[in-house]
Amino acid sequence: MKQLPLEGIRVLELTTGAAGPTCARVLCEFGAEVVRVETRLRGDGHRGEDPKKWNKKPDFVKLHRGKKSFTVNMRMEKGRELVKELAKKCDVLVENYGLGVLEKWGLDYPQLKELNPSCILVRVKGLGCTGPHAADLTWGPNVGNVMGNTYLWNYPGSTTATAEPRTQHPDFMGGVTGAFAVVLALMHRKKTGRGQWIDNAQLEIGASLLGPTYLEYSVNGREPQPQGNRSLVAAPYGAYRCKGDDRWCAIAVYTQDEWERFSRLLEESGLDRNGKFATHLERVRHRQELDRWVEVWTSQRDPYEVMETLQEIGVCAAVVQDVEDQFKRDAQYAARGFLVKLREPEAGEVVTEGIPVRLSETPGRMRGPAPLMGEHTHEVARQLLGLSDEEIKALEDEGVLT
Amino acid sequence: MVKADEESPLSGYRVLDLAGPLAFHCVKLLADMGADVVKVEPPSGDEARRVPPFKDDLPHSEKSLYFLHYNTNKRGITLNLDSHDGRAIFLELARSADVVVESFRPGRMDELGLGYSVLSAGNPGLIMASITPFGQTGPWRDYKATDIAGLALSNLMVLTGEPGEPPVQAPGEVAYGMASTYGAFGVAIALYHRLETGRGQQIDVSMHECGAHIAGYFIPQYGSTGAKPSRASRKGEETDLYDPYPTKNGYVRIFVIPVEQWRRLVDWMGRPEAIAGPEFEKMEYRRQHPEIALKTITDFCKRHTKEELYEEGQKRRISVTPINTVREFMESAHTKAREIFVEMEHPVVGKYLHYGPVPRLSETPGRVTRTAPLIGEHNGEIYCGELGFSKEDLVALRADGVI
Repeated sequence: MKQLPLEGIRVLELTTGAAGPTCARVLCEFGAEVVRVETRLRGDGHRGEDPKKWNKKPDFVKLHRGKKSFTVNMRMEKGRELVKELAKKCDVLVENYGLGVLEKWGLDYPQLKELNPSCILVRVKGLGCTGPHAADLTWGPNVGNVMGNTYLWNYPGSTTATAEPRTQHPDFMGGVTGAFAVVLALMHRKKTGRGQWIDNAQLEIGASLLGPTYLEYSVNGREPQPQGNRSLVAAPYGAYRCKGDDRWCAIAVYTQDEWERFSRLLEESGLDRNGKFATHLERVRHRQELDRWVEVWTSQRDPYEVMETLQEIGVCAAVVQDVEDQFKRDAQYAARGFLVKLREPEAGEVVTEGIPVRLSETPGRMRGPAPLMGEHTHEVARQLLGLSDEEIKALEDEGVLT
Repeated sequence: MVKADEESPLSGYRVLDLAGPLAFHCVKLLADMGADVVKVEPPSGDEARRVPPFKDDLPHSEKSLYFLHYNTNKRGITLNLDSHDGRAIFLELARSADVVVESFRPGRMDELGLGYSVLSAGNPGLIMASITPFGQTGPWRDYKATDIAGLALSNLMVLTGEPGEPPVQAPGEVAYGMASTYGAFGVAIALYHRLETGRGQQIDVSMHECGAHIAGYFIPQYGSTGAKPSRASRKGEETDLYDPYPTKNGYVRIFVIPVEQWRRLVDWMGRPEAIAGPEFEKMEYRRQHPEIALKTITDFCKRHTKEELYEEGQKRRISVTPINTVREFMESAHTKAREIFVEMEHPVVGKYLHYGPVPRLSETPGRVTRTAPLIGEHNGEIYCGELGFSKEDLVALRADGVI
């Protein structure tokens, strides 16, 4: 009986950045053995450029916990040959280099298929593998610009370009969606024995969430504009100022019942609840004035007091948390043990997010710390490539294994 | 099981869809990948039919574009789960289903008598995914949270907008989207496990936890260094060239990390004296001197259109992208070449461009087979065709408010 559902599946990871690593990490958490190909010729984006700090970055731990690190020089023919040998022994290849790199290394799908016809290749690319901008150099944050997300993420009528911080959901959502597709491909392979490749464009995965907005343009012919926290289906709705420095609580009132309960609290601040806010229509029409009444009440209270008071009466409210809140005041994360401490050999204690999908029969598991640079080079060379200690030494002397 | 269609990865799998908006994207992924999804709506229609935008801005239960996007590729039936007959019919449907996706408040399915132990009693291979705001356990499990609340708790919203002004929610319901994505991944893992063992299971997804996975690296960084970014401090950090630069017609962003990219950018700008020095090759130094680095790049960008900067910048291997509007994205040559939008027709909305299935699998691609169902459109097909009810039965069930 397997301990984890993907036990026995081996993933070769040729990645940089966050989206590809996330895809492989999610597979790792559900049992896949992930061998990450790295090089000492330069630091990975998340190991940093300084070799002394390669094994000390908390960001790297988040992305690579539980994987193995195999260091090799891909500029040398022999290095590329070794990685091709590894590709023959893997079930899945995850990559997210710029278009052309895999081709150059002889591992794009037509070539990979020759080496290993049942292998599944997932190419986690910013803008995908075809089309005039397939070769664009992108990271998650600037993929959001292309799809309209950055433009729309703003206050209505704002004079600034965007209210969006440096966000990366196309990286993380793209990575997890890629893992979803890999598992579907593994199911297909189980039935047919055949592999395939997946064009996993972060742009298209992130943009899928804007579908209704695209319809607004294609059906109504109107260019969608930033809406900020405006809503027509809830009022009050938005982020409301609370006591403290730059503290806020999100509140959303959807039904008349919710409003009846909430407005009894607002009466304490002098609101006339039978006046112009009696119905949803009135509340939407007078939402700016309504927002001021809500803030009279919220601004005298700690954001957690606002959240808990409103949740007690069945109204949707949530503190606009910062990261310190997540550690110190988020009772739900604490109760579910969501923030997990890993003991890293060089980085010390690192806290990372747990696994947010819990399966009753086959739960995922944190498989261990992130690998030190090259930590598993010998192990992989011996066990997967079948090399002897002498051969490994010779390859190291030549600078192939680094 | 429906007739197998070798083309799509989930062909032959039946999904019963009890999802609210939190789980919409999950079921959409399953439907786009070929599952036979049966959406179960209350007789008055799904709540999402009342969510804007609407065709011609006129609220109408068949004109919600929000509903249309998320329910294309499904069949739809009406069923009142609060009625005795409604629950009995659901139990019957569940006997031959592979997956149930629901996003009711925790405990609701049990109260209805439709908890996992009941549904799986006659169908041990059944997979049930429950996607909820806070998961099935913990002190906040009964709290209400829509997308804005998920984003608020995630540590991302706190960084949005201008200091002193309210933080701003993201477009596109990303907290729902991330929870749904993990939900679909969980379903895929469970189906894979079932191929090997025949056994089903329950999946518990918390939007609140998925939200932490949207934001980036703040959690590991805080744990190690105590760093707590705020909107004000973030502005400082983003002067590492990531601020939007005004151009002749809108904005671009330039995301420079490796030093070679910085050198290429300086060359492209004609090596302006102010930033050509080697000290500017250090990210740290640029960050400390935004008044020089940012200003020089801004002056350069203002002399060009965003299209010019995008084309030429990418040609020079610099990570420049334009801040597109919706129209610009939809009409771009790249979007058109990728054929991501598929022309479809809906009996009430008319012709529209549907956002097609992603990601793209070479051997077993997703597919688009039908537009979103009208309310109860497939009642006859499923209740009479599959469960053996007569048309007279349907009249009686409707009179009783069951369907």
